[in-house]
Amino acid sequence: MDWLMWVLALFFMTLGIGIVAPIAGVGGGVLFTPLTMAFYPFSTDFIRGAGLVMAMTSALSSAPHFAKKGLANLRILAPVVIVSIIFSILGGIIGLWVTNAFPQGKSYIKIGLGLILFVVFLVYLFSKRVEFPQIAHIDPISEKLDIHGMWYEPSLNKVVEYRTTNLLYALPAFAGVGFIAGMFGLGAGWANVPVLNLVMGAPLKVATSTSMMIITINDAAACWVYMARGAMLALIIVPSVLGITIGARIGARIAVKSRPKSIKYLVMAIMLFAAIMDIWKGLHGLGLAPPI
Amino acid sequence: MAVVVEKEKEELGTELKEVIVEPMNYVFGKIMEILTIIGLIAMFVPGIIYIVTGKGYLSRDVVVKYWGLKASAFWKKVMGIKVFGYSWFLSHLTATDCLSIFGVCILAVTPLISLIGAEVKADKKYKVLIGILIIEFLFAIFRPILMGH
Repeated sequence: MDWLMWVLALFFMTLGIGIVAPIAGVGGGVLFTPLTMAFYPFSTDFIRGAGLVMAMTSALSSAPHFAKKGLANLRILAPVVIVSIIFSILGGIIGLWVTNAFPQGKSYIKIGLGLILFVVFLVYLFSKRVEFPQIAHIDPISEKLDIHGMWYEPSLNKVVEYRTTNLLYALPAFAGVGFIAGMFGLGAGWANVPVLNLVMGAPLKVATSTSMMIITINDAAACWVYMARGAMLALIIVPSVLGITIGARIGARIAVKSRPKSIKYLVMAIMLFAAIMDIWKGLHGLGLAPPI
Repeated sequence: MAVVVEKEKEELGTELKEVIVEPMNYVFGKIMEILTIIGLIAMFVPGIIYIVTGKGYLSRDVVVKYWGLKASAFWKKVMGIKVFGYSWFLSHLTATDCLSIFGVCILAVTPLISLIGAEVKADKKYKVLIGILIIEFLFAIFRPILMGH
């Protein structure tokens, strides 16, 4: 019954992640993958496969609602995902190649993920978000593609129309985001939102919603890479996705009523701890650090 | 350009706010909504049956013994096979764990079908862009079959 203990541990951990993630305003995948790599005995291949399914499922559940409201916009998504999807597939291929071609490949992945997590931590700590960015000029490509949209904003009691800009500057950023998502099995909303909001000038709600839509496509494409390599086990995926699905519903209800800052700090502390654990375990795997 | 007018149902004083949602976004969302529900059911129902009964392609006790191995080594050790492509689960759809992975398949193909639906409603420029996206997505799916690795 060893398997049952791990299945229950996964379910309750992801249930907890599902509850705190919406309250703290982070994605579930960014906690699941590093925590599971740090504390569970599964191969990094299976963890990244499950992480992708988890991030994809969460995004698939929310993106349709935003698309039908006008918040998630294919006009923004199409040009950027043309680039990011290729890098997402490439990230998946290289990520699996690293673990399979090198004897200590999983240690490299753990160190890489730990370092990425430090970046995520800094992004959450320092990046400021702008609710309604002001755009001085629209770049010629965005103009030609006629990137625009609108939605009804209850807090302003009016329909907000918007346009975006700086498409060319955003493309390399999305290439990097796609690569990281595929390689480490993350959703990468933490990177999508600042690029959409601060670089392209999309209103915050539009950036968050369109990021969900981007995750559905990037992560689904990378999922096929992991599936084709057999890096998916129902015994890991099902309790994880079930846990986070139930947890997210509870968390979303709590988040509507209150979003205590203490939860955000707690999640950031967990993130930092997971980053340190992943790097330490990776270094230990390379023989560069003592066991924990 | 053709648009769909989605009327927000909230009465705001005397005016009723109108939000114009483009048909391609609306169709994308609608298809995604339906397929996600189907995919989740297809993943969860056999997946839970597998966890509870253990009747699947892979024995739960064997999985737990070797799930620390990298994916290629795992399949070699447990089933004596080299996995390239999707036959490892598509050939065993009577087993609950493989059926659950097929549910993941439905979820992973959902954005592609949503994009195909959206392309029909898109204007000329976006027909081209979404068309490229569809080709890239198809490449992601068929790459292992076409390239063999």
